Amino acid sequence: MALRNDRAVQAARDIELQEIEDGYTLVGGPEEAVTEQHDTDRIPEVDVDQEMLSNTGDDPESWLMYGGNYEQHRATPADVITPENVSDLELEYELSVGTGSSMEGTPIVVPGDPPVMYQTNGPNHMKAIDPREGEVLWSYTYAPPIGVELCCDDNNRGAAVLGDKVYMTTLDSGVIALDRYTGEEVWHTSTADHEEGYSATWAPVIRDGTLYTGSAGGEYGVLGFVAALDAESGEMQWQTDTLPEDEWVGASREHGCGTTWMTPTIDEERGVLYTAVANPGPDFDGTVRPGPNFPTCGTISLDLESGEWEWGFQSSPHDVWDYDAVAPRVLVRDVDVEGESMDIVAGSDKTGWVYMLDAESGQLHERSEEICQHINMWEMIPHISEDERIPFVPGAPGGNDWQPPSYNPETGLVYVIHQNYPQDLYWRYEEFSEGNPYWGGNLDDPASEFPDEWNESITAFAAVDPATGERVWREWIESEEERYMWGGSLSTATGLVFNGTQNGTFVAYDGESGERLWEHEFDVPISASPMSWYDPDEEKQYVAVQVGGSGWLRQGPRGDTLAVFSMDA
Amino acid sequence: MTVAEQRDLATALGVDTPGDGTVTWELLAGQIEPRSDSAFASRGEAIRADLAGRLDQELLERERENIADEIRRLSDVRDVGVPDEPSGLYTDVAAPGWRLYDHLLEVNFFESLDENLPRFTADHIETTARELLLADPLSSSLDDVGFDESEKTALLLDVANNDERLARWVPSNQIPDGVEFETETVPPLHQRAMGGALLWIRGLDRHLWQNEVMITDEILDDAVRYVKAMLGGLFVTATAACDLAGDGQFTDEQLTAALTAGSAVQIVSQEELLHSVFYIRDDMRAPSELR
Repeated sequence: MALRNDRAVQAARDIELQEIEDGYTLVGGPEEAVTEQHDTDRIPEVDVDQEMLSNTGDDPESWLMYGGNYEQHRATPADVITPENVSDLELEYELSVGTGSSMEGTPIVVPGDPPVMYQTNGPNHMKAIDPREGEVLWSYTYAPPIGVELCCDDNNRGAAVLGDKVYMTTLDSGVIALDRYTGEEVWHTSTADHEEGYSATWAPVIRDGTLYTGSAGGEYGVLGFVAALDAESGEMQWQTDTLPEDEWVGASREHGCGTTWMTPTIDEERGVLYTAVANPGPDFDGTVRPGPNFPTCGTISLDLESGEWEWGFQSSPHDVWDYDAVAPRVLVRDVDVEGESMDIVAGSDKTGWVYMLDAESGQLHERSEEICQHINMWEMIPHISEDERIPFVPGAPGGNDWQPPSYNPETGLVYVIHQNYPQDLYWRYEEFSEGNPYWGGNLDDPASEFPDEWNESITAFAAVDPATGERVWREWIESEEERYMWGGSLSTATGLVFNGTQNGTFVAYDGESGERLWEHEFDVPISASPMSWYDPDEEKQYVAVQVGGSGWLRQGPRGDTLAVFSMDA
Repeated sequence: MTVAEQRDLATALGVDTPGDGTVTWELLAGQIEPRSDSAFASRGEAIRADLAGRLDQELLERERENIADEIRRLSDVRDVGVPDEPSGLYTDVAAPGWRLYDHLLEVNFFESLDENLPRFTADHIETTARELLLADPLSSSLDDVGFDESEKTALLLDVANNDERLARWVPSNQIPDGVEFETETVPPLHQRAMGGALLWIRGLDRHLWQNEVMITDEILDDAVRYVKAMLGGLFVTATAACDLAGDGQFTDEQLTAALTAGSAVQIVSQEELLHSVFYIRDDMRAPSELR
């Protein structure tokens, strides 16, 4: 069936992203969710179990969660594609997803005959795909309610799978569970009230029958949390607020934000999760929320069973630059540091550095060499007067925004994407007069004047050694249209690293040296992170990436493509 | 303090800078003319009326003395260097301040200050600095807890030279509706000043311990320097609160000035701490031992 006759695709197209004063809302669209079935018989009914989830990082045939494994290495053990033969990598097919919206997601693949890919994109649209043929087996669009508030775009970054179900978060701060064989709704759980500004855009993660999800709405004065749901029933198991009461002055905590808007990292050995914590609220006026605003713009660790607090670390205390920490934390085990072994949680943050934290204690093992430039870093308060503004780097998108790093087991390095573009932040201080805006803050992108020290490169892709924080190599990536680089990378067991740029270039790097070994050009930006799997019946390794512009600033033109590359074994 | 800052302070107070440029509390106090300010007086009177009978004099005097002890032992705290656990060293320093804070919260002290004290504007700040200089009980108390002449002058500087920065801290009941955030949950200004300062002091344990690989002696020196200033501000507020609760030696103008100044010092020094100790740029950090 052609996608133009697919009612779920049509429903997604009907949902319009409309600009409002503080961001976006969704209008149009179906009153009820839509499932369109094309060929559901093709889906092998073999439930995904916990053993498969725990081992997916070592299984070249599967990619069962957003981050590739619980540690979020985004690394495939498939070894058909090597530095020596990657120049022969070819496009197998391009599938038009048909919805013309945000394309920031990473698909997952359940092994079988055929394998089944679950792929999501905005607005809350999912497809089950036969990835051998590039054919849609079923598609689904969630019906968002009226009044959703979105800061940035109608994103959905991926699915999670367990048993006979597949899951995604919904833009109204919920989680939907679908029968993964038929695409029909099983349950929906709301984790918070979207009318208060909460939403959800990330891929959830499941472990031991529990689905873990976070919170979004840091521009709307929400209170951030992490939640655990029973994956079978959708029932809430626990919900932990990210902001401890005794770390905030009085009621300033109630709208203190500290959301957790990307996929948590699971440490099966310690029985904890690690997640980044975003900006405090209000974003730019720190005087109404004094103190460090712990643990915003940082990393926290919570117990998987109870949601209880383990530790927290901040990369930008009392932040007024929107320096969220958000990119998924990467857990690197058994890092050799001067003869001793330690587990490290690597957080690549908007502040422009990568933080290597001791997974046990939350202490900083080391902070990396800088990835982007630092110009007038942290200099805005208090040294400005009402007419003054200075440009600063990193700007509010970072550094590292949500773009997931990858960890390559072959090279032992972590690969990160950082923006590097001057913005202005200023306070509009005015004498109070009734009925007029008083003061607040605002951002100008770009800065009104570019600092002399800026190197004119808008983005960087870099490799960092987690043992020492050494920046082993860095490639400055420029963009004539001045777009940010908005996807994330994929590492392979053979030492390759794939990354898609804002110029539409999909690159395979030698992970050791940073040399570009292969490129493929698309017409529109890549704003998503690739993934890979091996199909033993086809005897091929595949690499898949979603293509299309997305983001809250400088996104570039939309695209509609799931591109799949392959190489014969 | 730079020469320029000292000169600015003297100019702000209408005092001639001496030839060698050195401006001290003593010098300024000797040259300031008393000036009756009825607005300040009436505010002080209103606060006395508001809080009469609610303050626990014994608690206030005890914790004021405890804060003084913490100020006196700061050099021992500095000698420890980086704390060896995420809670303990600086947490103890903050403890009497928290007990003071909790009591003041209970009796709605901060609400009363927001209602009755002047907002931070250039004129009010200048008056505050003048009145502080003339408040002998306050000056000698600061001497007693170990603020030397230059440290006392630095406190004064915090108050007098930062009117633009202080003006951003607005009493909660004066933040109008046009701002982009919810105003009802903003705590009173004077609660924010003190609560914020105490959170920073306590937070030093975790921050220094976690970031040990980047911490230098200079950062530790600055930590103690600004903790001392914050405690100094707390001590000034506590002294004024004791006066309110007890024998009322301050004039009403002096009372207004002391309460305003106490908060101003807490505000300015917590922002300085943030920049010197918490925001660690590459040019400030200890070099990596691993690369």
